Parts: sequence; C-alpha cells; structure tokens
Amino acid sequence: MTSRPLALAGAAVVALTLATLPLLANAYIVSFVFALLVAFVIAQSWDWVNGLMGYLNLGHYAFYGIGGYTFCMLLVAGAPLPICFAGTVVSVAIAAALLSAPIFRLKGDYFAFATLTIVPLCELLASNLSGLTGGSEGITLPPNYVLNPAYYLMLILTLATFVTTLALMRSRFGYAMRAVRNDEQVAQVSGVRLFPIKIATLMLSGVFAGLAGAIQAWQFSFIDPYTMFNMGVALIPIAAALLGGSGLLLGPLVGVALLTSLQQVLLIKLNMLQGTIYGLVIVLIGRFIPGGLLRWRTIANSAALGWLSRESHFEVPALRGGARSDALPLRADPIDASRKILECRDVTMAFGGNIAVRKASLEIRQGEIVGLVGPNGSGKTTLFNLISGVLHPKSGTILVDGKDISQFRPDEIAGLGIGRTYQIPRPFGELTVRECIAVGRTFGRARAPLKQSMLEAETFARFVGLDDCLEKRADQLSLQQKKVLEIARALAGEPKLLLVDEVASGLSTVEIAKFVEHIREIRDRYGVTVIWVEHIFSALASVVDRLIVLDSGSVIADAPLAEAMHDENVLATYLGHANPEVP
Amino acid sequence: MSLDILVQVLLSGLLLGGIYALVAFGLSLVYGVANILNIAHGTFLAISGVIASLIYAATDWNPLLIIPALAIPVFAFGYLFHATLLRPLASRSKHDETIGTVLITTGALIAMSDITGVVAGTNQRNIPVRSDMLEFGEVFVSMTQVWILAGIVALTLVLHLYLKHAWFGRAVRAVTQDPMGATLCGVNASRARALTFAAGSGLVAVAGVLYALIYPVDPNMGFSLTVRAFTIIIIGGIGNLAGAMVAGVMLGVAESLTAFYWAPKWAPAISVVLLLLILVVFPRGLGTWRRA
Amino acid sequence: MSLLRVEHLAVAHGGLQALWDINLTVEPGERIGLLGANGAGKSTTLGAIVGYYPTMGGRILFEETDIGRESVAARLERGVVLVPEGRRLFAAMSVRENLEMGAFLAAPRRQRAATLDQVLSLFPILKEKAAQPAGTLSGGQQQMVAIGRALMAKPRLLLLDEPFIGVAPLIIRDVLVALSAIADTGVTVLLVEQNTHRALEFVRRASVIENGRTVLDADRETLRNDKGFGAKFLGLD
Repeated sequence: MTSRPLALAGAAVVALTLATLPLLANAYIVSFVFALLVAFVIAQSWDWVNGLMGYLNLGHYAFYGIGGYTFCMLLVAGAPLPICFAGTVVSVAIAAALLSAPIFRLKGDYFAFATLTIVPLCELLASNLSGLTGGSEGITLPPNYVLNPAYYLMLILTLATFVTTLALMRSRFGYAMRAVRNDEQVAQVSGVRLFPIKIATLMLSGVFAGLAGAIQAWQFSFIDPYTMFNMGVALIPIAAALLGGSGLLLGPLVGVALLTSLQQVLLIKLNMLQGTIYGLVIVLIGRFIPGGLLRWRTIANSAALGWLSRESHFEVPALRGGARSDALPLRADPIDASRKILECRDVTMAFGGNIAVRKASLEIRQGEIVGLVGPNGSGKTTLFNLISGVLHPKSGTILVDGKDISQFRPDEIAGLGIGRTYQIPRPFGELTVRECIAVGRTFGRARAPLKQSMLEAETFARFVGLDDCLEKRADQLSLQQKKVLEIARALAGEPKLLLVDEVASGLSTVEIAKFVEHIREIRDRYGVTVIWVEHIFSALASVVDRLIVLDSGSVIADAPLAEAMHDENVLATYLGHANPEVP
Repeated sequence: MSLDILVQVLLSGLLLGGIYALVAFGLSLVYGVANILNIAHGTFLAISGVIASLIYAATDWNPLLIIPALAIPVFAFGYLFHATLLRPLASRSKHDETIGTVLITTGALIAMSDITGVVAGTNQRNIPVRSDMLEFGEVFVSMTQVWILAGIVALTLVLHLYLKHAWFGRAVRAVTQDPMGATLCGVNASRARALTFAAGSGLVAVAGVLYALIYPVDPNMGFSLTVRAFTIIIIGGIGNLAGAMVAGVMLGVAESLTAFYWAPKWAPAISVVLLLLILVVFPRGLGTWRRA
Repeated sequence: MSLLRVEHLAVAHGGLQALWDINLTVEPGERIGLLGANGAGKSTTLGAIVGYYPTMGGRILFEETDIGRESVAARLERGVVLVPEGRRLFAAMSVRENLEMGAFLAAPRRQRAATLDQVLSLFPILKEKAAQPAGTLSGGQQQMVAIGRALMAKPRLLLLDEPFIGVAPLIIRDVLVALSAIADTGVTVLLVEQNTHRALEFVRRASVIENGRTVLDADRETLRNDKGFGAKFLGLD
C-alpha cells in the first residue's frame, strides 16, 4: 500500500518525463511512446464499456478508424484543425449512438459476437465508398512533419482518458455502470435506467478512441482501410486491457505497456511470425489469466506491486461532522389505512405452457404487513417479478396508488417507491457493502446525491447489523449477511412498499427474531408497507396483519392472520400439516 | 437480363449458401453443446482450404480423397484444441468464461492465419480440377458443381439422420437442451462437448475442400466466414439444421445476386447489414433463441 | 442388507458447504421420505447420491459397495436414478425421444421397447402426446415424462425431487397413484417433498434434515403424532 503523497509524486515524475520527452529523446523513442499512448487510450476507453459496465465490445476499434477517416476527410477538404477534431467527435458520437440501438438488445456472448462484425463492416464501407474515402487507395494528407505536436495532443488525450477513468470510478454515473456490470436486473429494480447509461457509455468510449484515431492519422499522414480497420490489430488493445486487468484503474495501462513493448521487441528481433507469437500470447492470457495480471495473486498480494492491483472503492473522508444517529434517513409516511397502495386485478402470467400466476387479485393498504405464502412453485416470486416490472403480465392490471404500472420499466417502478429483495441474494458482488447500499439510495426513490448516499449507507448498514463490514466487498459476505444486505439496499431507496422475498431460511432463531423486529420497525416508524414471502411460518406469524395464500398461481385465501391460521384448507396447502405448532 | 444467366447465378448462390450452412451448423452445434462461440471457426475452413489446394497441387489426388485426408486430422486437432484450451474454462465464472473463449479463439485465429501465411503464402489459391460441362438448353453446369451439390446434400442428410436417430446424436441434442437432464440420463456431457467441437471442426474442413473447388481461399479470409455463419445462426436458430440450410442458402443466393447484378464488392456487406437489421426488428432473434 | 446407506455425507458446491452430516438408510422395497425446509439440503443430498455433486466427506454405500466416487453413469447402471427438481426435460425433443433418452445406457437400451410399453401403460396420456415436443406439455404431463424417463433406466432406487411442483392439484392424485404402482413393482422410492401432509400419505418412514444435517428419522405414525415435529419441520428448534 502506498500513501497518497507517494502516488502523487510518482505520477508527477511520470507526467514530467512524458511532457519533456521530445526535448530529451530521439524520434524513435518519441514515436514508440506515441504508439503506446494511442494503444492506451483505445484500451482504456474500451474498458469503460467492459471493465465498468460489463459489455464485451469487440468492435471498439471501429471508432478509432471512423475517427481517423473523419479527420482526414475534413482535413483534405480544407477544414482548419480544430474543426477537423470537432467533426471527429461528432461523427464518432453519432456512429456510437446509431450502433447502440441494435447491439444493446443483446447480452453476453451474443453481444460480443455481434460487435465483432462492426470492424469488418467499416473496412468494407471504407473500401467501397471510394468517392468519400478514396477506396482502397486511402487518403494521403499533405506532407507535414507533425510528430511533436501530435505527441503533445496525444499526451493531453491520454491525461484526459486517465482523469475520465478516475472520475467515472467515483461518480454516480460510474456506479450505475458498475451496478449494470454486476447485475443488470438488480440495477434496474434499484432504479437505474439502463439505456441512457449504455448509450452514453458507448458514445464516450467511442469519442476517445475516435480522437486517438484522428491524432494517429494526422501524425502518420496516410490512412487506408487496411490500417484503420485491420481485424488482426483490432483486438490487440482489448487483449492488452485484459492482460493488465480489466476494470482496475491501472490494468489497461500496465497491459498496454507490456504488450506494446513486446511488440517492439518482436518487430526488432523477428522478421516473420510476429502475428503467431502475438496470437499465442493472447491465447495464453485467455487460458490462464482471464482476470488479468494484476489480479494474479502473486502480484496482488506482493508488498512491492500490490498497489497496482488496488480496486477503486469509495473512500470515506477522514473528517466528518455530524452526530451519529440511529434513525434511518427516511421520510416517515403517516399511515393512512384507506389508501390502496397496491392493487392487482386478475393478473395472469404464463411461461410456455405453464401458468405461473392465474387471475390473481389482491389489495394492499398502506401501512400493512402482509404475508404472502404458498408452496414452492405457487407463483410468489413471479408475482413479485410482475409487481417490480421485471416481467409484464399477460393480462390483468397492477395499480400502485391507483396508477396502472403493468407496462412500466423496473426503474420507473423503483422510482415510484417499490423496493424488493431477492430470495437468493444478488448483491453487486464487486462493490463494497457501503457502495451497494448507496446505489440503492442514490438511484431509488430517495435520489440522494452520491456522496450523501455513501455516508447515509452507514445508518442502513447499522440498522441491519452490517456496520462492521461496510468496506468489505459484497461477494465476500456470508449468506446471512448477503440476505440482510438485500434489505438494506432495498430500504435505502426509500420505498413506500417493500417486497421481501424469503429471508428467514438459513437464519438462526435469534436472527429471525431480530429480522421480524426490523420489519415491524420499518412499518411503525417510517410507514413502509411490506409484503413478505416466507416459508418459515412462525417468522410471519408474529408480525403480519394479514395472510394471502397462493396455490398453483391462484389466490386461495386472503384473510386476517387469526382467521387464516384456523382455515384447515390453508393449513393443509401451505403447511401440509393439520395442526402446526405456532409459537 | 436473360434467364439462363439468372439460373447460373442462382445455382452458384445455392452452392455457396450450402457451404455457408454447413459452416454455420458446425458453429451452432458447438455453441449449443459447449457454449463456445468459436471465433476461429471460419479460419479452420480457410486453412483447410489452403492445405487442400496444396495437397492437390502436390499430389493431384481426387478431391474425394483429399476430404478424409484432411477431415480426420482436423477432427483430431479440434479435439485437442478443445481439451487443452477451452475445456478448462468451464470451471470459471460466466464472465471470465466468455472473455477466455473470446481471447483463446481470437488468439488462435491470429496465430493460425499467420503461420499458414508464412508457410503457404498469403496469396489466393484454389483446387483447379478439370471438369466436364453439362448442357441444359442454354444453361451450362460443370460436373464439379454437381459433385459439390451432391456433397452438400449428402452431408446434410447424414447429419440430420445422425442427430435424429443415432444415440450419440441424440445425446448431443440432449446436452444442448438441458445439460443436467442429459447427465442424469448417463450422458458424459464433457465428452460430448469435446467430440462435438471436434466434429464441428471436421465438418468445416470438409466445407473447406468444397469451397476451394469453386472459390479462391487464402489464410486471412476466415473471419468473414465466421461473421456469415453467425448471421445464419441468428436467422436459423441454435442447433437447427433445417434453419441453417434455409438461412444459408438465402444468404448465398443474396450474395450471388448482389455480386452479379450490382457489384461484387458489396456482397460481403449483406450478412452484416442483415444481422444488424434483424437485431433492430426482432430483438430476440427469430423466435429461436432458447438459450439466450 | 440395506439398499442404500449414507454416512456422514458432506458436500460443497459453488464454494459454499451445503451438507454437513447427512445420515440415511434405505431398506430394499421401502418408501421413504426426505423432509426439510427450503434450503435445508434435500436436493443436494439427492444430487450427491446419484453422483451429480461430488462429495467432500462421508460415504455413500449401495448394497454395501462404496459408490461415492463413481460417475453418474456407473450409478445409473446400478439402478440409482433421479427425477430431478424442475424435471429437466429436453424441451424441443418429442415425448418419445425424451423417454428413450432415459434408456441411454447399454443395458436398459436393449430392453427399451418393452420398458416403453410399461411406461406408456402407466401414463396412458403420454401415448397420445408421444410425437409432441416435451416443452409444449402441461406441468403435470411433463412430470409424467420425467418420471417415465427415469423408469426407462430400470431403476432399483428411484429418487424423486419435489415432483409435485407446478402440477395442477387434480393431477397430483394421478401422479401419486402412479408412484404407488411403481413402488408396488418392487422399486424402492425416496421422495423429497416439502408438503409433509402429502409426503406422509405416500411414504412409510421419513428423515428430516435441517441446515445440511439429519436431525430426525422416524416412521410415519411417530411423525404424525410428534408434537415437536411441526416446529422442527418449520425450521425452528
């Protein structure tokens, strides 16, 4: 671990060396460093999409080419330099926006594969639209030795790239990206609206790569389809970022430095088979270190190099005013039992031939705690998915405060104040507990600013008993801790209706009792309405006002607790036992 | 435009499309069973084609002999490739598995093209068999074309019957549809994956020989074939042989028509444009993405 | 000699330990239940018995032979067959093909025509649907295919994991009748079911597990009369 002054000093030395390089070194060194900076900007801007947002874009290199072409076409047409660069930004941004519409309909492997077609398509366009691009002849710029100015421009772009990375990792926008990478659905039900995030990220990453292409083209003063859209080269910046460690602040930088140096060595030492060695290096990275060198244990745990591997997480400011309060920062809603907070009318959902929810109708009044019970497969979780907008019903309507939400997106529903948890916890594994809760807070109905959310996250963590692992990564928690983290994340969004999906199984008796107290307190103090799906009946029995029983997708009973408890039919369905021992 | 030329163009589109379909079906079998999108898939074809033309130039063998001489070693190579590089990825997280697959198959693409280029040269070559011409009125058809058509039809039939009726073929389909269910029936899923990868590679080697009989091949053409195969999978469906055939022939015919009546340089764009269009119009593919 | 004996079974999957100490004895020809709350480890126990999950500790003895290191296929050959939770059918394959996949291994494959007749007479509705893709059937019919597919493997010990999920109440009765008929032919049946009432109708004895440990093992009458059992089953001591 290095201290901050040391890191700053190191950065200053590097910056100074780079800034004075053209005065100190010969043209060969300058052009090598120039190539390295170009590769870094491409790799790092690619990694915003992959490392932060989790989308493996294999067509990133096309932005570099489009940038280069736009720049050259404008320059040849006689436009002044600033206009050429501005035009580059505009054209790449438009290209990225246009591409977003089709490609972000895909996920995972399909996304990767579809994006792989972009570079060849661009090469084809560049070769065939010869009126615009000069075809396979390419474009030759008027002879002009610009290595040094190009180098300085590139240095500025590099600095901007690095600063943007830092800013993204700390901003609200960046946390939305990281939430999407970790679990898109949970990000959505926490209130993150996906499409604007995705399109903006792709545009941003495209613009930086495009500018790199423009500066490179200017320096080289010649482009053709092969140099700007070469598939053999297109994946190398990506391999570099992955080699270093995608998603880490220094990962792409380290990867690019290593791989570009290797390339120089190969070019000098070998006159053939460079591609083969390159390819094999990429194969080996894929086979042995898909997480990247910096995540390799030997490096991450070493005293000398460990600082390279540090993940970026929110850092708590050292000095903080204000008294610690145990009260959750939630607006207390006065309880109004006449207010229908949720109403489902004849809601039906089917998957293929299986009907999961069958004409279910129910009403929830504000301030109620309702238990939703029924055997496995009876449709409880599907009903939650319908209410939170993850699924849309085949027929029927779902009203929240009288407003039909059945076709709303999950983030719109979260914004209306509906929070939910997952039966199998789905925390944002790569974020810390504090960050997970803050994501819920800043994107949910609360819409609190990021920094405030990060600080307030403590109160929510304390409420569920996670205050001693605030800075721990969520994927390192125990199952029990992950379960209560679900509650904290959902609650932080300031819901008026909280959907709780099975928490008690796997918890000890004491933990369950504590949990029941939390649910009661949420309602009594803050007026939050709760629907609680639970198998462990005794957990429900002490706190719910009313039971709704589902069986095979239909509501078979809906009655106050005392009544439902004595309904033989309900007991047989739910418990399979005529006389349950209820404490 | 005269009808006889149209028929010739359609015929060559049919042959090209049939070969595309075989390539695509191999890729989709591998993806369905083993969850591997092999970016080097088309490169396997390119290199098989180059080697086939070298063998022909050196020995003057009948292509019917070259096919097994090539397909068997490529099958073995595919098996080893999967066993040493791809199979170990299965124990990783989903995201790492995707990244690992992309890197390994991309790296293999670059390395294999480069080695072949160094050894055999990057120039285009083919298998210049002499062949008689059959005459149907105004339309001329070469015996080579007839043989290729017969080869495509035979391979499709064999694949269909094998997957439908042979026990191992059924096991492959079972693993595609539900790996756990298949395991519980006694299928060795990891062996099925390795053999399917090998079979997909062998199939592409056969397609490579057929391709080199009518079109020139070079070591760097592989990736554009992979792109076409991907388009065909999206249109035709994962693991769907009939779908691959229909989509493949459609694409082949569309490319031939474009090349002949408009400009050859635009033919390669068809698949990519089609792919992007399909994604815009049918966000979930053509109703066939069971696994997506 | 017991048909199956599980001793101190421990299993981890996905990096988390799911089973700590499972003990279970199954006598030949018996109908036994495995009960427990959600997440108690019932499915993992069945998965470990058939070899789908590797064991971390303990032993699994089938007819006194330790089968804990054998492959799924080797245990299938011995007649240990699982009807998994969620059915795990091959949705795009026909009902007939699904059933025949059950006889994938060499020995049952030779007798598949005769076994198929038996299965179809047990579930006559499947005869009409034989050519349909399994994914188009209703939940209850899919469950019949899943059970039928297991029968095609000629089981001696049939493990059923929550076979009534997603099955319409009226059809549950039919499935239970079929299961009784199967048990009457001498097949030993181990049933995992979270509806105790229903499970106790079918089984004669049951084991209760909780947090990956066996906590109780008793016959049907004892369980029905045990006052503390309800509380135990509900996950509270």
